[in-house]
Amino acid sequence: MPSSLKARTSGTTELLYESFLSRWLVIAVGLVRAYLARGSYHGLYYSIEKPLKYFQTGALLEILHCAVGIVPSSVVLTGFQVMSRVFLTWAVTHSVREVQSEDSVLLFVVAWTVTEIIRYSFYTFSLLNHLPYLIKWARYTFFFVLYPMGVAGELLTIYAALPYVQKTGLYSITLPNNYNFSFDYHTFLILVMISYIPLFPQLYFHMIRQRKKVLGHVEEYSKVE
Amino acid sequence: VFVFVFDWQVEPNATIGEIKSMFHKSHVLFDIFKLFIRGKSLKDEDVLQHLPVGTTATFYFRDLGAQISWVTVFLTEYAGPLLIYLMFYFRVPFIYVPKYDFTTSKHWVVHLACMCHSFHYVKRLLETLFVHRFSHGTMPLRNIFKNCTYYWGFAAWMAYYINHPLYTPPTYGEQQIRLALTVFLFCQIGNFSIHIALRNLRPPGSKTRKIPYPTKNPFTWIFLLVSCPNYTYELGSWLGFTLMTQCLPVAAFTLVGFIQMTVWAKGKHRSYLKEFRDYPTLRSPILPFIL
Repeated sequence: MPSSLKARTSGTTELLYESFLSRWLVIAVGLVRAYLARGSYHGLYYSIEKPLKYFQTGALLEILHCAVGIVPSSVVLTGFQVMSRVFLTWAVTHSVREVQSEDSVLLFVVAWTVTEIIRYSFYTFSLLNHLPYLIKWARYTFFFVLYPMGVAGELLTIYAALPYVQKTGLYSITLPNNYNFSFDYHTFLILVMISYIPLFPQLYFHMIRQRKKVLGHVEEYSKVE
Repeated sequence: VFVFVFDWQVEPNATIGEIKSMFHKSHVLFDIFKLFIRGKSLKDEDVLQHLPVGTTATFYFRDLGAQISWVTVFLTEYAGPLLIYLMFYFRVPFIYVPKYDFTTSKHWVVHLACMCHSFHYVKRLLETLFVHRFSHGTMPLRNIFKNCTYYWGFAAWMAYYINHPLYTPPTYGEQQIRLALTVFLFCQIGNFSIHIALRNLRPPGSKTRKIPYPTKNPFTWIFLLVSCPNYTYELGSWLGFTLMTQCLPVAAFTLVGFIQMTVWAKGKHRSYLKEFRDYPTLRSPILPFIL
C-alpha cells in the first residue's frame, strides 16, 4: 500500500478502531452489568441487542479497509466473516424472535465480543506502533477456544430457528408466481449449517498458520539469544 | 525451477515445436509446457533464427499442468444442459411430485421453450465439431469441472421451474412469446453468422489472426460497431429466452453469462487494439457505444 496513503489515513483509522474497540467494550460491560442485575444469564441478548446490531453491521466497513489496504488481512476471509456475522445478527437472531432467549445466542455474542475487543486493541496498538506482546499473543491464542465457541453458538442458534422458520414460511417464496421462482429459507438455513463443515476448518487452520508465522519469530529469536 | 543444459546441434531454421518434441523425447514426463525467452512465451511455429538468440539459446519452461482439449470440454459442457433439460421436460421421476411423472405441461410455451433450449445446445455442439477453429489445443483440466458445474447447474435450475407443474406462462401471453421467439431466432442466426465469418478469417490448420469485417451477410454488419458480436447475439438469445419463459432463474443465468462475456469481450477488444494499429475506432467490445 502506498506509504503516502498510509500516512494520510492512519490518524483516522486509529480513531476508527478505538471507537470500534470502545463499542465492543460497551457490549461487554452491558453484558456484565445485566448479568449482575438479573443474577442469571438468560435473556441477556436483549440488554445488548441494539449495540450489537449497529456495531456488527458497522463492521462491513472492514471489508472496505481490507480492499483499500489499510489492514493487511485478506478481503475474502474478512468479507466472509463479516457477512456471516451480519447474517446471524439480522437474518437469524433478529428475524426469529423465538431464538432470542436461547443460551446459544449468548454463546456467540460472548465469543464475538471477546474476539473483537482483542482484535481491535491489536489493530489500534499496531497502528500506534506500541503493540504489547500480550495483545499479540492473545489475538493469536484465544481463538483456539473462541472460534469453536462462536461456531457452536451460531450453529445451535440456526438449528433452534429451524422449526419456527418452517412453520411460518419466513423469507420463503412458493410456486406458483409470475416469475416462476421459489426459495425455501428453511432448506437454505440447513445448507448454511452444512457449509460450516468445509469452511470452518479452513478459517481455523488459517489462524493456526498465522499464529506460527507471527508468534514463531519471537520464539526463534529467544532461542538464538 | 528446473535447469537443463543441452548440447544439441540444431538447425537455425528449426521451429520451437520441433525443439519441444526433441525435449519430450529425452524427458518423456514433460509433454505439455510453454517455452519462454526474455519473459515472452513462444509459439510452436516460431523459428529459431528469428528469435533473439546467439550461438547458444536459453529457454525457460513453464509446465502447464494437467490439460484437456477444448473440444472435449465444449462437448461435455454442452451435452449436459441438452440432456438435463430434457429430463425435466419429460418429468422423469424423483424431480416433481409422483403424480406428475412422465406427464407433459399443458402450456404450449413450455414445449416451445424446450425446442429453443435444445436447438441452442445442438447448434453449439455442431459448431464445436464443424465450425470453430481453436487457437489453443488445450486448457487446464480443472476447467472442465468448473465449466460443467456452471452449465449443468444452471440448466437444471432453469429447467426445474419452466417444466414445473405450477409454471405460470408469461403475463402478456402470445404477444410476449411471439416477440421473444423472434428475438431468439434472430440472435441465433446472428450468432451462427458470426461464427462462420470468424471461421472464414482463418485458413484450415492455421492460427493466424486477422481483423474481422462485415461480409455480404447482413447479420455480420454489426462488426461495424462491435468487436465480439458473437457475444452480443448470445446475450440477445438469452434475453429472448428470458422473455419467453418469464422465469427468474433464466434472467439470473442471462446476467451471469453477460458479465462473463463482457469480461471476455473486453479482453479480446484490448488484444485487437494491441495487435492491429489500424483497428476500427468506432467499435465497442460487446454493446454498441455502451460497453
